[in-house]
Amino acid sequence: VSGVHVRVRIAREQYALPVERVLEVAELGALTPVPGSSPQIIGVCNLRGQVVPVMALASMLGLVAQEPDRIVIAELGERRAGLAVDAVVDVGELPDASEQVDSPYLTGAALVDGVLVGILDADAILSSVESPEPPA
Amino acid sequence: LSPSDEEIHELVRQEAGDCLQRMESNLLALESGGGGAGEVDAILRDAHSIKGSAAMIGWRKAADLASAVEDSMEQARERGGLPAEFVDPLLRAVDALGRALEGETEAVAPIVEELASLGGAEPEGDGSSMADGPGGAPSRETAAGSGAGQATIRISAAKVDRMLDVVGETVLYHRRLEHSLGDTLRDGRQASEELDMGEQLLDELQDSVIQMRTLPLSTITASFPRATRDLASQEGKEVELTIDGTETQLDRVILEGISEAIVHVLRNAVAHGIEEADEREAAGKPRAGRIELRAEPRGRMVAIQVADDGRGVSADLLARAEEEEGSLADILAETGFSTAERVTDVAGRGVGLDAVKRHVESLGGGLELQSRPGRGTEVTLLLPVTLALMRVLLFERGGRPFGLPMSSVGRVVAVADTTSLGNRPALDLEGQVVPLSDLATLIGTAGPPLAEHPQAVVVESLGRSLAVACDELLGDEEVVIKSLGAIMAGMPGYLGAAILGDGRIALVLDPNHLLKAPLGAMALDQPDETEETTHTRVLVVDDQFAARELQRSILEAAGHRVEVAGDGREALRLIGELADLDLVLTDVQMPEMDGFELLEAIRADDEHSSLPVVIVTTLGDEDSRRRGVEGGADAYIVKEEFDQQTLLGTIERLTGR
Repeated sequence: VSGVHVRVRIAREQYALPVERVLEVAELGALTPVPGSSPQIIGVCNLRGQVVPVMALASMLGLVAQEPDRIVIAELGERRAGLAVDAVVDVGELPDASEQVDSPYLTGAALVDGVLVGILDADAILSSVESPEPPA
Repeated sequence: LSPSDEEIHELVRQEAGDCLQRMESNLLALESGGGGAGEVDAILRDAHSIKGSAAMIGWRKAADLASAVEDSMEQARERGGLPAEFVDPLLRAVDALGRALEGETEAVAPIVEELASLGGAEPEGDGSSMADGPGGAPSRETAAGSGAGQATIRISAAKVDRMLDVVGETVLYHRRLEHSLGDTLRDGRQASEELDMGEQLLDELQDSVIQMRTLPLSTITASFPRATRDLASQEGKEVELTIDGTETQLDRVILEGISEAIVHVLRNAVAHGIEEADEREAAGKPRAGRIELRAEPRGRMVAIQVADDGRGVSADLLARAEEEEGSLADILAETGFSTAERVTDVAGRGVGLDAVKRHVESLGGGLELQSRPGRGTEVTLLLPVTLALMRVLLFERGGRPFGLPMSSVGRVVAVADTTSLGNRPALDLEGQVVPLSDLATLIGTAGPPLAEHPQAVVVESLGRSLAVACDELLGDEEVVIKSLGAIMAGMPGYLGAAILGDGRIALVLDPNHLLKAPLGAMALDQPDETEETTHTRVLVVDDQFAARELQRSILEAAGHRVEVAGDGREALRLIGELADLDLVLTDVQMPEMDGFELLEAIRADDEHSSLPVVIVTTLGDEDSRRRGVEGGADAYIVKEEFDQQTLLGTIERLTGR
């Protein structure tokens, strides 16, 4: 997997998302929790008049987010969500994945300047919300 | 292009140029009466030869146009001469053909259309397998689109929704801007006028975007006649279905889901409403039953009515509805819902009606049912024109705003005393015991403790009620309902979300889901004897639903009898009708007739001039206070300091009770 990626920081680790799946990066404003939604969803946010679900990327990756500050708006067909991240590092070419990883949400990992960068599987992440639990 | 191709093209242009020149002069000759069949044939030949060579090298549009000219000339030949009205269009066609051969094809489609309309002949297209060149793009649809009087374009629904999002956000942004400019505006009249103008334009823009989401009812009615016919033949009955008002516009999302509900109502009418042909004949009705489906706008709603001339519901059921003061729709829906084992004709009519009712209510609409025994039944589905806008009651719990469609809100109460029902808290609302539940618990979240006497919204549907306790009522508002997004689609419990003026997101709760929650299923009618009281009869006048209902609940809890009015005009009418009214409690700012005008009208009326009037003002509104006192108000209460003691104390003081 190579090509242009958006590189983000989550809990001191680095991850990258293929740029074709990224609509924009926005500030993580006020979140409105939706009681009864699946655990991956930490709430909905107001993105210029659009209500967008925000996913807890850190906990999906088994991490503890430091201070989510940005959301990366990712899109797969009609499925659109904001992924909460601590910061956006940069946008640029990523070398081919050189490492195998064992995570349902990663396609692999690449070494960038000696730092291991996990390559996020946007499709798997956006498809992970299967049957939400009804409230009450 | 290889040089040889280009050479061929040039050759075709030259030849065609010669043809076009001849065509032009022949046309002019025919127009001046100096020609005959020979000229007509010559034009035909030239048009045919241009068609052939253009088609050969793939210049599709030029070929189409030449073909259209050919068709027109063919007609002329059949008529024995060129009709005068053919000349101008044909001359334009020759010009356009010349330009089309140079690659300018914009004019082709309208002219093909014009030629076709001359004699009613369809222009003949060539095979579509040819390569694109100048004028190569297929043209039928384009021609129809640009030639028709009402041009339409296809836009994806998602794009319209996105546009609505942006427009809605711009409206909110505008309001925030106006708010933050506040003081500055008071000095600059011009700036304020400009802002007002901007607001008007934005409202108009929002309306027109919402209009884009609507489609005519005819998009779903096509299958109804067939479905009704099949049902009728299954039942061995004769039924005629008429459909009117199919041009009525509805939100496409509503249309998608409503077809099944309408078919259900039609099925009920065929199966349970319409009698057997012999039975009808014996009753003096035509053998074939009639079902009329009518759609028409009703205020901000659309009414879809299904009326049959069948046997109607039983007199027993009508009597029961009257006795219980319940709506026939509720009783039928409930009957069909709760007593599946009692399969009678009556219950049969209700089977599935609860589902229809739930569906229309979840869309913010309602179900009405009228029936006359022996004469027929009329079921009305009341639907909002658009799902985009919904009137909701907004309230807060745990610092977060929530909304409920106004159509599902029965009333708002200030919880004073709670009784218990099945060991759980409940409210006694004039003899009806309604379970009381914390909103936070209902939706499975935690919140700070409720106030000792919290406010509660009574949600009603399908004859069940539930009081939902919250921290604070924010009032009712018309909001744009937005989807929670594809990822959360299918999650029950919410109708969507609304973005409030301050940018916060309010989750809009699905009332039917709330009522299905464990506590919601416990509503029971307890035929408690309502105690007769000798208390005061008070008229509460307020245009805000929440404020009105809050006052009502406080007064009723204290044993007063309460009437309500939404503005001064309605209040005056009630004052005229109700002989034993003891006191009027009125808000100041209302549409139609405000509180002061109401006060003035009461004082000017000989019969009621001594009726005590209490003005409810907002804090710090000294002007209102003074005007109230000057106008002869007996007391004023400040909204922000509104509590039970003040209100009840004031009433006691003024009425001596």
